[in-house]
Amino acid sequence: MAYVKVKRRELTLSERFYLPVIAGMGTTLKHMLQMGGTSRVTMEYPEQKWALPDRYRGAPVLVKDQQGREKCVSCSLCEYVCPPRAISIVPGEIEGPVEKGPQVFDIDMLRCIFCGYCEEVCPEQAIFMSEEYELCGSSREEMVHHKDRL
Amino acid sequence: MPKLTIDGRSVEVPKGTTIIQAARQLGTDVPHYCWHPGLSIAGNCRICLVEVEGMPTLQIACNTQCSDNMVVRTASDKAKRGRADVMELLLINHPLDCPICDQAGECKLQEYSFRIGNDRSRFDFPKVHKPKHVKFSDKVMFDAERCILCTRCVRFMDEIAKSDELDISNRGDRNEISVKRGGELESPYQMNIIDVCPVGALTSQDFRFKSRVWFLESTHTVCSGCSRGCNVTAGARWNKMLRLIPRENAAVNKWWMCDEGRLTYTDVAAADRLGAPMVRKDGRLVEVSWDEALAAAAKGLAAAGDDLFALISARLTNEEIWLASKLCDALGTPHRDTKPRAFGKDDLLRTGDGNPNSAGARILGVAPGKGGAGLANFASQNLAGAALFGEDLDDRPEAIAALQKLAFVLVVDSRESETMRKAAHVVLPGLTAYEKDGSFTNVTGRVQRIAPCVRSPGDAWPDWKILGWLVAGNDRGARPKTCAEVFARMAAAVPEFSGMTHGMLGTAGLDVRSAAPAQGSV
Repeated sequence: MAYVKVKRRELTLSERFYLPVIAGMGTTLKHMLQMGGTSRVTMEYPEQKWALPDRYRGAPVLVKDQQGREKCVSCSLCEYVCPPRAISIVPGEIEGPVEKGPQVFDIDMLRCIFCGYCEEVCPEQAIFMSEEYELCGSSREEMVHHKDRL
Repeated sequence: MPKLTIDGRSVEVPKGTTIIQAARQLGTDVPHYCWHPGLSIAGNCRICLVEVEGMPTLQIACNTQCSDNMVVRTASDKAKRGRADVMELLLINHPLDCPICDQAGECKLQEYSFRIGNDRSRFDFPKVHKPKHVKFSDKVMFDAERCILCTRCVRFMDEIAKSDELDISNRGDRNEISVKRGGELESPYQMNIIDVCPVGALTSQDFRFKSRVWFLESTHTVCSGCSRGCNVTAGARWNKMLRLIPRENAAVNKWWMCDEGRLTYTDVAAADRLGAPMVRKDGRLVEVSWDEALAAAAKGLAAAGDDLFALISARLTNEEIWLASKLCDALGTPHRDTKPRAFGKDDLLRTGDGNPNSAGARILGVAPGKGGAGLANFASQNLAGAALFGEDLDDRPEAIAALQKLAFVLVVDSRESETMRKAAHVVLPGLTAYEKDGSFTNVTGRVQRIAPCVRSPGDAWPDWKILGWLVAGNDRGARPKTCAEVFARMAAAVPEFSGMTHGMLGTAGLDVRSAAPAQGSV
C-alpha cells in the first residue's frame, strides 16, 4: 500500500528553546508548595479507611445459622455458576436433620472476580459477599480461602 | 391395526398399543412417572393425561389402548391444565430438598415441574413428614418424603428381579414403600430401583453425595464385569470414575444391570495401578523408558520363541486378543490359554463368566494349540518363557513358582501383582477396560464398543498399543496409531468380524457374522 508522508508543523521559536517545559515545571513547583495544605485530594490509606457502599461486594464468606450449624448443604450451585471457577466443593454426609454438608469448601481468591453470583444463586442463603477487600498473601496457596476462613 | 391421530399426525399401530407408546413412535414424549417401558402398567401417577376426542374426561396415555379413528391431543390447554393440577398434588408433601438430593438434575419431578407445573404451592398447611434417609440396604438409600408412590421399584422387584422384597405399607397420606418383613434388600439387582425411581426417593449409597449429576462427564461404554456386556453410561469427574448406570440396549441388557457390575469401575482408581514400564535389573524391578522396556520384551519373546507360554486374558478387547494371537503366531508357539474367572450367575443377566470377552477369545482361537500347553499344565512342560497379557496368577502360588523358573517372563497388566513382583522380567503397564478404546464380544456373540471414560494413570499405554508395537517390531510403519485401525485389520482377517468397523458398531453393537452364535457361558 501506498503511504502518506505526514507533514509536521514547524516548531515555534519558543518551543525550540524549550520554554513551555519551564512553564510546566512551574506548575509542578506550585503543587509542591501547596503540599500539607488544605487542597489535598489523596486519601491516606491505610490509616484512613474508605466508607463502603451498602451493596459493596467483598470476599465471599459462608455463614452459620442460629444454632451454629453451617448453612451450606454443598448443593454445588455456586460452584456451577461461578464464572471464573473459583469455587470447589467436596460434599459429604453429616449428622443431624440435614444430611449433607461440605467437607471441603475452597474459594480461590486469585480467581474470584467478586461478581456475587454465588450469593445470588444460593438456595440456602449460606454464602454472602462480605465487606472484606484487603486480601493479600505471600503465596498462591495462601490466597485459597478454605472453609475455616470463609 | 388401529389408525389414530396424535397432535394432528396420524399413526398406525398394532392392536393393544397404548397411547403413550404410539406417541413415542411419533417422537412425542408424554410426561410419565409410573409408566416404564420395561415394567407393567400401573396407571397411578396420573401425569400422562391427554385429551381424547369424544371422551368426557382426560385419559391416562399409559393405560388407554389406541382404537381406530381416535383423535388424541397431548398438548392441548385442557391436557396441560390437567397435568399442572396433578403436579400440584404430587408436590403437596414433597420436601423440596433439591439442594441436598442426589437426584437433582435427573429428576422427573424437577423436569416436569419446570415444564408443566406451577411456580409456587398454594398449600399452606403443614406437610406430612415421613422417614428420611432410611437404609434399605448398604447399596440403596430411601427417603419416604420424596417418594411419589409410583411403585416402579415394587414392580421392578416383582417382575424383573423376581424377588418380592418391596411393598407399599400404611394407608392414605402415610403410604410408604417398605421392605417386606422389615429386613434389608437382598436382590443382586436391587440398584436398578435407583434408576427406575423417577424422583429422589431411592438413591445410591455408593454415589451418595459424590457429585452433582450435571458435573459428570458421561461416556457410553460396556460393563466389564461379566460376559453379558451390559451397556452402561459411565459418569466421571476430576478424572475419577464415580458411577456406572445401565444404558438401554434391547438386544443385550434392556434397561438393567446387576449390582456387582455397577461397582466394577472401582478397579480404575486402585492404589496399585502401574504407571511406568519396568525391567528387572540385579533382581529388582526398575522403572525404565518405554523404548528400553519394549526392546527387552521383544528380545525375551524372540529368545523364548515357540517355547513361550502366552496367557491371554479374556478381559482384553477383541483387538488386543487378536494382536496377542498374531504375536504368538509369529513366534510359532501353540501354548496359549485364557484364565477362567468366576462371577455371579442367574437367569436374568449375570452369566457366571467373569471375563467380558470370553467369546472374543474363543473366536480368535485363544486355546492350547496342537501339542500346546494350557494354564493347567504349562508348569510341567519344559518351556523357556511366559507372557501374561492382562492377567496375574496370584491365586495360584504353584504357577508363580513355575514362572520363577523360566528364563523370561513378560507381564502386561494394569495393576501390581505378586506374580509381577516375584517372577516378571519385563513389566509393561496397560489399562483397564474403562480407560481404553476397543470392543468386546459378549456371551451371545454381540460385538460392542468400549470407550475411555477417564485418562490413563502415569505413563501407561493402552494394551492394543503395547501389543501393536510388539507385533510390529522394528517396522515402524506397521505400528497401529488407533484402536479403530487395529479393528479394521482384524475385521479384514477374521470372518466373524468381516465388514465391521468401530463406527458401525456404534453404541448398540453388532452380532458376529457367523451362522452359529457363540455358545453360552464357560
